[in-house]
Amino acid sequence: MQITGMKYGKQILNIANFPTPQILDADATLEEVEKLMAKEGKCVVKPVFYGGVGKKGKAGLVKIVDSAIDAMAAKRKLYFAQHLFHDKVIQANGVTFEEFIPASYEIYFNLHVSTKTRKVNFTLTHHGGVDIEELNSDQIYEGTFDPITGLKTYHIIDALTEINAPREIISPLAQHLPKLWNLYNDFGFTMLEINPVRIKNEKGRLIPYACDFKAQFDRDNKQWQRLNLPMEIFQTDMSQFEEEINQLRTYRGQSDVVVINPYGTVTAFMFGGGANSAATETLGKKATISSDFGGNPPYDKMYDIAKIVYKHWLKQSNVLLVIGGKANNTDIFVTFKAMFDALKNYVAQNGKPNIYVVVGRGGPNLIRGMGYARDILDSLGIPYKFFGYDSSMVEVVQYAKDIDDWMEEQKNQPLKV
Amino acid sequence: MGVNNPFDYFVGIKSLEEIATKESKVVVMNILGNESRNVTPVSHEYSGGNIVAGVQYGRKGKLETKAGDIPVYSRLAEVVEKHEFDTSVIYLPPDAVFHAVTELCHYNSKNLKKIIIITEKLSVKDQRLIRAIAQANGIDVFGANCLGVADSWNHIRIGGALGGDRPEETLIKGSIAIHSNSGNFSTTIAEYLKTAGFGTSTIVSSGKDVIIQFAVPEFLYAAENDPRTKGVVLYVEPGGYYEQQALDMITSGKLEFNKPIIACVTGRWKSNLTRACGHAGALAGEGDDAIAKEKWFDDYFGVPVFNPDEPGNVSEKGVRVSSIQHIPLAVKAVFDKTGIQPDFEPVGNLGLKPWFGNNFDLKLPLHLQIPLVEALPPYNKEIEEINKQIGATFLRENMRNKSSASRINPSTFVAELHGMPVVELIEFPYESNIFFSLTKLQPDKEKLKLANIILNYFAKPTEQELHAIQTAKNNGATPNEALIAALALNDGISELNQIKVYTGKLITLFSEMQLRDLYSEIDYDKTETFAQTLFETGGGKKTDLAEFLSTAIENCFKKTNIVDFAFRFNSKNKVKHPEAFLFAALLLEFSYKSLILKKITRQTAVELIEYITIIAKSAVLNSGFLYSNTFLKNLFNGKNLKLLETSFTETVYQALFNEEPSEESLIEFYALLALTLTNGPGTLSAKGAKESVSARNNISTAFTGYLSNTGLAHGGSGYEAVEFLIDSFKDVKIKDPSKPDGKINLRNISHNVAVNYLEYKNKAKLKGELNYKRIPCINHPVFKGKRVNIDPREDFIRKYLKSKNINNLFWDFYHELVEELYKVGVSNNVYCVNIDAVIAVISLKLMWKPFHQKKLSENDLQNIGFIIFLLGRTAGVSAEIIDHRARGTDMDCRTPQSETVYIS
Repeated sequence: MQITGMKYGKQILNIANFPTPQILDADATLEEVEKLMAKEGKCVVKPVFYGGVGKKGKAGLVKIVDSAIDAMAAKRKLYFAQHLFHDKVIQANGVTFEEFIPASYEIYFNLHVSTKTRKVNFTLTHHGGVDIEELNSDQIYEGTFDPITGLKTYHIIDALTEINAPREIISPLAQHLPKLWNLYNDFGFTMLEINPVRIKNEKGRLIPYACDFKAQFDRDNKQWQRLNLPMEIFQTDMSQFEEEINQLRTYRGQSDVVVINPYGTVTAFMFGGGANSAATETLGKKATISSDFGGNPPYDKMYDIAKIVYKHWLKQSNVLLVIGGKANNTDIFVTFKAMFDALKNYVAQNGKPNIYVVVGRGGPNLIRGMGYARDILDSLGIPYKFFGYDSSMVEVVQYAKDIDDWMEEQKNQPLKV
Repeated sequence: MGVNNPFDYFVGIKSLEEIATKESKVVVMNILGNESRNVTPVSHEYSGGNIVAGVQYGRKGKLETKAGDIPVYSRLAEVVEKHEFDTSVIYLPPDAVFHAVTELCHYNSKNLKKIIIITEKLSVKDQRLIRAIAQANGIDVFGANCLGVADSWNHIRIGGALGGDRPEETLIKGSIAIHSNSGNFSTTIAEYLKTAGFGTSTIVSSGKDVIIQFAVPEFLYAAENDPRTKGVVLYVEPGGYYEQQALDMITSGKLEFNKPIIACVTGRWKSNLTRACGHAGALAGEGDDAIAKEKWFDDYFGVPVFNPDEPGNVSEKGVRVSSIQHIPLAVKAVFDKTGIQPDFEPVGNLGLKPWFGNNFDLKLPLHLQIPLVEALPPYNKEIEEINKQIGATFLRENMRNKSSASRINPSTFVAELHGMPVVELIEFPYESNIFFSLTKLQPDKEKLKLANIILNYFAKPTEQELHAIQTAKNNGATPNEALIAALALNDGISELNQIKVYTGKLITLFSEMQLRDLYSEIDYDKTETFAQTLFETGGGKKTDLAEFLSTAIENCFKKTNIVDFAFRFNSKNKVKHPEAFLFAALLLEFSYKSLILKKITRQTAVELIEYITIIAKSAVLNSGFLYSNTFLKNLFNGKNLKLLETSFTETVYQALFNEEPSEESLIEFYALLALTLTNGPGTLSAKGAKESVSARNNISTAFTGYLSNTGLAHGGSGYEAVEFLIDSFKDVKIKDPSKPDGKINLRNISHNVAVNYLEYKNKAKLKGELNYKRIPCINHPVFKGKRVNIDPREDFIRKYLKSKNINNLFWDFYHELVEELYKVGVSNNVYCVNIDAVIAVISLKLMWKPFHQKKLSENDLQNIGFIIFLLGRTAGVSAEIIDHRARGTDMDCRTPQSETVYIS
């Protein structure tokens, strides 16, 4: 759950009273943009991307313009701009017109949970506005603080002093940056980054302005909901299927899914994080989805999950795979009953799919669960093979792949006349 | 002694031996919660009763276990007053976990040494706050989102369900310590290790949240100090720098560690994810993704990833494996290198061993054909037991407006029985569809002779029934009313009891023998020995019927083990009631597969004879020719048993029309009877049956319930269409409606009907009569609006009969008529001829000859139309009765008071 940009960044930073430039939406009129530019004669036009999208400046997607006409031209160009980020082409969904903040200093500031300290760390440099990776280590300060008392003024002063930051910026930053900790701590962040904070001289006083914003939220910490952000900004890279499954997310039982290949031919119910990792890796592009339904999901939840999975993927699949290790507390009978009841109902509604069912599983009530599944598959006339936990899980997945290969071959056989 | 604590943060555990000890005293928070309620007793029993108390906020009581009851308190303060404990396990929902940790520290910071958090989906914020408070209080934390810890040497598990419900199966004493990001793999890896002869010392399920409280550095430190541990297995997923920290500490000398590590790193595919799937903390940045982690380990070991084909290429420091299945081999290879022996002889192997399978008619290539194997103990015994359980068990629920027997398919609008559209059932003879209604499977064609024997034999009405039906008819009863009078007597039903008893015993016999394949050879001697304990043998008399049944079985093509065994057993052992015994076997021949496939309950199979008897009798009781038709007389006097083999459809035809059916009429008759099987569970007829079952009536009363809900408006209404047709053809002489006659101009007839109707309609409208009479059997609320409309169900059957060169003049007339109605302006488009027309035109065609010969009056036509409806529906409604008896609850058909309306 990530967001980038000032469209929502400003709204969030306002809560902490952190200074931000004036921002206009894409529907701003020419006059409004002219007014925005009146003070400095410039404005910044940026595309709006949902989700966590970085490196826009490097990609030439940030335009600084000096007339409202040019700003409107930039808007036309950037409104649906496409951006290659992490091997994915992402399309913009609007622009922002942002007040230009003249500054002699650009600061990088980041708060994030660190697995090295198992605390929240902060990263700070006065050489901001660039990729942090491009700086030398002595130009950056990375430190931590007491997670109970939080980030204090003295942490900022000490950090800036250590990296030899100009003295004049220390006080304004020490005054404003700790506000970001309150934001971070109270609204479910796992990462908050401002790059750059541009320090503007206003009548002799230096004021830091947050000019770009990046954040990541913890989906298990409901505090982020208090920000009242529209849900769609988090759903940009989520398919319809993923969205439907996501509705079922409760604390009991996992329901994590991600689409691997929309044209895949093996659909797998994976149980447990380990099985999820091993099976997805083994299936590769054959997998329609990667999933983790471990954690002893109750019958209703598992039934609903299975119903959604079948609706989206069964028609195109050759193999339906149920894979997990020897479950510790997931009730195999309950989960199997739910999955295979849902399959029975799917067949009643849609007819028999041309699939082979492969199961590799162990755990409580294993035989009751397998027996139940067997009876349903026998009654539906769907072929299957069930392996216990004494067969290698990866070998079982490989067997499912081999069955899939063979079924694909059969599809491609010329029709016998 | 051992190595010194190298950490600049608190780590209390010095050796893995201290993680789960016999001395640990445990308190479980939310002990009566869903998960704990099942898991905690197993842990307590396995660990010799190490849980001193539990907390369930707001409740008091106890949790019963085989190792003694665990007292449950409503708050921790009470526990502290009465018990000492050093370990706590938390099963609370995520939002409550941090509160519980602070509560534990508040009340017991002096004694508390370990907290194990099982809860998943804890926020990162709570995780870091828990760490802060635990560090400040000197407490080691495991989890969250983990399955706890276990010690195979001490026979202790604390926290979640490591080893599942049978921990002793997995936790075998040995020399390997496991630290796993996956709870499931903690157990699975321990299982896999057994195949190379390794057991475990300590297993830590670390969880895989962003913050791991007891991570690899702490684990390796404690493993080094554990003399029982000779090597460690790490299961590692992307995300987090814990492993790098540990390896750096070893390499830099900060942490002294001299034991081999086998590290399984997975999750390369996760590098493209932008949100977590699986473990929350397994979402990596660029520096801690799977590839980065692989490199940390490969650099540390100095050898590439383990290759099972070159097991020698490992280092004394250990090796990385790419998949958990390689762990046993890799451990063995590394131990071989260091000269350490396995803990015991290898147990089993990881090869593919399918326990269950069925390829049906799929011809898999050789390399995919893996034979089924017997499961390892104790699962093999469990499989044996479930193979003995036969028949479906359904959850009971309110079935008032529900049915698992029939429905109207929402996309095709065709009624379906047991998933088969009735239009597809038209090809099956009546006898076949009767058994299909009852068992949910169409019998093999080769066995229909046996089905006919049963139906024809049990169709014979008793004197009392004949008297009842005649009395009712004499009093002007409609066909449904007459049947009610006869069936309500329950005459002869008790005589079926012996067959029911034998059916039940045969089911017991074959389920005990685990008969799942009806055709493969069975162990006759073993089955016979068991059968001798079930059936009274030695007194059976030879009767003509028993002989006839035996011969029929002997000559049956494609007979199963069931009838084959019954025949042989009876021949040899002379069962006391041979006829009942052989009938029971014949019935089971048709129901056993449905039992195996859990399509029907055992009770349904036992009661099958009762349903069959009622359906068969109902099919002939309304006949007006029982005393005059030679075939029926001979059939029921029992002198010529061979007649029992006659197709039951033919028997019913004779009963209805008093003549032998032609091949053509038989095909049409099949269609008629199939089409009336069902029209979904919402019909009055189905509801009558369901409501009777709901009041807990017996089977025959349920049938009378259905019959009570038929009548001149439901079942008898088909006559309206017949009447319309007769009226339309009143001036035309038709000898045979199946033969096109050049003299009959259907277009002219239909034109005249259309013009007359237009005139009638206009007049009615002028008079303001909105409810003027519609032409029956045309138009449909769904199949409408096009230039030319077709009811696909009618179209399907018409084409099917046409393909068999079966013509029907009345049917053709209807198609001409809809065209003419459009042409003369009655309709805006060409209406469809709907499915009801099919029943009307076929019925009229079948009745035409006797009607034309004045052997039947118009009133007879109306009765026969109604009887035809009842024939089909009686078979179809039996499926609803079975369904409701198996799934419904008492009184579930009542209408709640809140839904009723009083009209003053």
